[in-house]
Amino acid sequence: MTIKQTNENGNVTLALSGRLDTTTAPELEAVLDDVLGSAAELCFDFNELEYISSAGLRVLLKAQKTMNTKGKMKLTGVNETIMEVFDITGFVDILTIE
Amino acid sequence: MVFKLVLTALYNAILSTLIYIADKKKPFNGLSYKVKQLIIGVLLGAMAIFASTNLGGVDVGGNTVMNVRDAAPICGGLIFGAPAGIIAGIIGGLYRYISAVYGITGTYTQLTCSVSTVLAGFIAAALRKFMFDDKKPGWVYGLGIGVICEVIHMLMIFFTNANDPITAFNLVKVCSLPMMLCNGFSVGAAVLAVSLLGRSGSIKQNRGKHISRMFQVRLFVCIVIAYALTSTYTYVLQSRMSNIETESVIRTNIDDVDKDILDMSDSNLLDKAKLIRSQYMRSYDKSTEFLQLLSKEHNVAEIHIIDTNGIIVNTNIPEYIGFDMASGEQSGEFLVLLDGTADSYVQKYRPQSYDSMVDRKYGGITLPEGGFIQIGYDADEFMNDIDSTVKKIAKNRHIGENGFIAVCDDKWNIISEETKYYGKNLKDFGTLMDTDKNKEKTVFNIELNGIQYLCEYEFEEGYYIAGFIPKSEALFMRDVSVYLSSFMEMLIFSALFALVYFLIKRLVIDNLNKVNLSLSKITSGNLEVTVDVRSNEEFASLSDDINSTVDTLKRYISEAEARIDAELEFAKQIQYSALPSVFPPYPNRRDFDIYACMYTAKEVGGDFYDFYMLDESTVAFLIADVSGKGIPAAMFMMKAKTIIKDLAESGLEVNEIFTRANTKLCENNDAGMFVTAWMAIVDLKTGVMSVANAGHNPPVFKRAGGSFAYEKQRAGFVLAGMEGIKYKKTEMPLAPGDRIYLYTDGVTEATDSSKQLYGEERLLNILNSLDKTEVKPLCEAVKCDIDKFVGDAPQFDDITMVSFTLNFIKGDDKLLFMPNSDAGTAVSEFAQQLTSKLDVLPKISGKVNIAIDEIASNIINYSNAKTAAISYTIENGRLYLVFEDDGRPYNPLEAEEPDITLSAEERKLGGLGIFMVKKMAESMDYKYESNKNILKLVIALDS
Repeated sequence: MTIKQTNENGNVTLALSGRLDTTTAPELEAVLDDVLGSAAELCFDFNELEYISSAGLRVLLKAQKTMNTKGKMKLTGVNETIMEVFDITGFVDILTIE
Repeated sequence: MVFKLVLTALYNAILSTLIYIADKKKPFNGLSYKVKQLIIGVLLGAMAIFASTNLGGVDVGGNTVMNVRDAAPICGGLIFGAPAGIIAGIIGGLYRYISAVYGITGTYTQLTCSVSTVLAGFIAAALRKFMFDDKKPGWVYGLGIGVICEVIHMLMIFFTNANDPITAFNLVKVCSLPMMLCNGFSVGAAVLAVSLLGRSGSIKQNRGKHISRMFQVRLFVCIVIAYALTSTYTYVLQSRMSNIETESVIRTNIDDVDKDILDMSDSNLLDKAKLIRSQYMRSYDKSTEFLQLLSKEHNVAEIHIIDTNGIIVNTNIPEYIGFDMASGEQSGEFLVLLDGTADSYVQKYRPQSYDSMVDRKYGGITLPEGGFIQIGYDADEFMNDIDSTVKKIAKNRHIGENGFIAVCDDKWNIISEETKYYGKNLKDFGTLMDTDKNKEKTVFNIELNGIQYLCEYEFEEGYYIAGFIPKSEALFMRDVSVYLSSFMEMLIFSALFALVYFLIKRLVIDNLNKVNLSLSKITSGNLEVTVDVRSNEEFASLSDDINSTVDTLKRYISEAEARIDAELEFAKQIQYSALPSVFPPYPNRRDFDIYACMYTAKEVGGDFYDFYMLDESTVAFLIADVSGKGIPAAMFMMKAKTIIKDLAESGLEVNEIFTRANTKLCENNDAGMFVTAWMAIVDLKTGVMSVANAGHNPPVFKRAGGSFAYEKQRAGFVLAGMEGIKYKKTEMPLAPGDRIYLYTDGVTEATDSSKQLYGEERLLNILNSLDKTEVKPLCEAVKCDIDKFVGDAPQFDDITMVSFTLNFIKGDDKLLFMPNSDAGTAVSEFAQQLTSKLDVLPKISGKVNIAIDEIASNIINYSNAKTAAISYTIENGRLYLVFEDDGRPYNPLEAEEPDITLSAEERKLGGLGIFMVKKMAESMDYKYESNKNILKLVIALDS
């Protein structure tokens, strides 16, 4: 998995590609630890993301919890496979998916 | 008499030999040098005392004892060391001096003998130190030094008794030869015996002749010849001079007597002639008869009156009237009376010219009126006239101290009254006076009354006048000077010998030895040594030449070394580049790790390792050690490595690779090299490893969860050792996490400075003590430990290690892995491989991915399992996934389901995985069987 990061005046965008699974989730968690402190708005670009596992969900939930206290978080470009995972797990109700 | 002296000389030699033997044995050899020298000095001093007494010496009269006292200190100094000689000399000398004070020995040579004994000790000590390099000399030198010391002794007797040379000489004459010979014999025998006992300590060496020794011998011969020549010359010259002197002494005496007799008879005759002349001139009767009367009155035989013409004009014998004096030779001599040059003339007593039976003496005196009167006088009458005077003539005459003059008549009866042997006839007395053999006026030997005399005689006026001098007296001065000069010469030549030898030794031999010492260091490989002998120009130039030669040599060597170094460095690069050296070698492969390293003892080595992928799922790796090291081993290593790789890449079984490689390596292996090797081929899909071992050290295995241990199996014979060897293959299953460590004997046989080996146990200990057992840190840690163990000791053998770890086994439809943090990647790769193979909608492949990912990560994170496996089958549009692990029992079907209706803040972070899988799977089945959790999932592929 690769993470592309842009930051425009606290408007942070993280573009993910590949698989967000047990092995790659810690990478994203590390990036978020850096970014969350300064981000007012956080946007995940999932256009290139193929797959997400429960470890990825855990990271997203953690990020959502943090952003709920200080700003906004949204996801864009979520594919069918990932959308199904969000459906099954009830994450569609928690996350802001555009 | 002299026998006793020889015996004492022998005692001294025996004592010296015994001391020498004792010196090497207990308890004597344990003593310090000083104590030993003191004891030896005292013992030999006692020997010197013994030799001085009547027990060991020979009394030659006057309490003077002929002895071999000096031999003991000389032996001490020459054989045992300077202090021993000096101590023995002082003891012997002191005894001689003190004993003379108490009258035990003679006082005549008290000082001389004492001093010479002390001196003997010092001389021997000095010679040993300066001439013989503090070693024992050869026996010839011993003999020579013994003799020379006695020569000094004898010369000292001469010099200290210059006021009484005769006594001194007589003493020296008696003592010198026996004492010189016995002392020389004693010292020579002692040195010979000692050098026969302990050849090693003597200066003699077997390897060729030493220049110093050759020089000594030649110089010695020259000196002896010179001594012999000068001594002979001195003897001859002194004899000749003494003969001349003796002859002149005797001659002078004889001449004196002879002249006395002649004068006496001449004046006697002239007195008669004057008396007859005055009677004849006073008488008027000038007749023949008157002259006959006169002749009877004066007992003369002839009275002639000769006129101025030399004619006999008047005579008592009438038939001479008119005889012309000039007509006869004898009578003609008287004509000097006519020419006015002489007024009297006397002829010697001699046979008459006309009647040789009659001895007659003639005398003439001039007459005042011219002419002269001649008187002839017969022997009998003449002798009657002078006998009484002649008998007294030898009185107060003597030749030299004890020589004498004898006047004999013509029958050799001694008539001079004051002479020894007066009244004896020399023809009958003593040895026969042989006047035929021993001519007049020559010096010859004669024995009178048992005494040897030198003798010369003369016949005058009817008397034999003989001079005698005792031979001993005549030759005394000669003998003194011959003895003195030959002693002096002996001393001077010895000193010259020692001096020349010493100088040559200092100037040449010692310097040569210095040069040779340096050269031998250089020859034995130390090129940093320089020769520096600068005592003279020749040696300085020799030193410079040698040094510059060595410098040139050094330069050539360093140039050659640099060239070889460069080539070796190049060879090293080639060798290293032939071995895989980029790590990790297969960065895309996670199912195994391999690391290898080699540290050569020299620039190039005989060890090698190798590894390569034979196909996508087969890896081969090996380690090998060629016999020997350096270039030959390196060249053989390249050959072996290439052959093995070629054979491996042609797809052969590992045992077959070795069998064929052995055959190929045996070909043309004239150098008799061989290789030990261990090779494994691992099927990465099944984890089965097939191994062949050609005489290599046992590898170390660490089974997953266990510890490192030697995997000792029977090894085959070495490669290239013997043709026709068949190698066996051993197959063993590997599990994920198994580690293999390979090494060469350079590791276990690494040696520290005290020759201790690193050893297998130490190796196992370090391996098991490591925290990190990843392939690279493992090898580095072992090398670090070896370096610490070896310390400063040089590396003798090449050190090579290979480390291999199997992480997981990924078959076509099965993944075996260790559930640890590294396993996630293997699992996700396995999942992706599966989904790409399925070729289904992304939604379906997402399900598959999630199922594998979630279950596997559960096993990895929570099961504590050692091994886990994921396998699958596809049947009738369904995927059957089976998860197995040996961790703690856990049934995911019983897991609590999360409440997915809660808000973000209320939801827990975990627990979603199993829930998702449950939602996606068509069915799930769990069982715990044979200590394993077994979870089966079915996922529909076509929904």
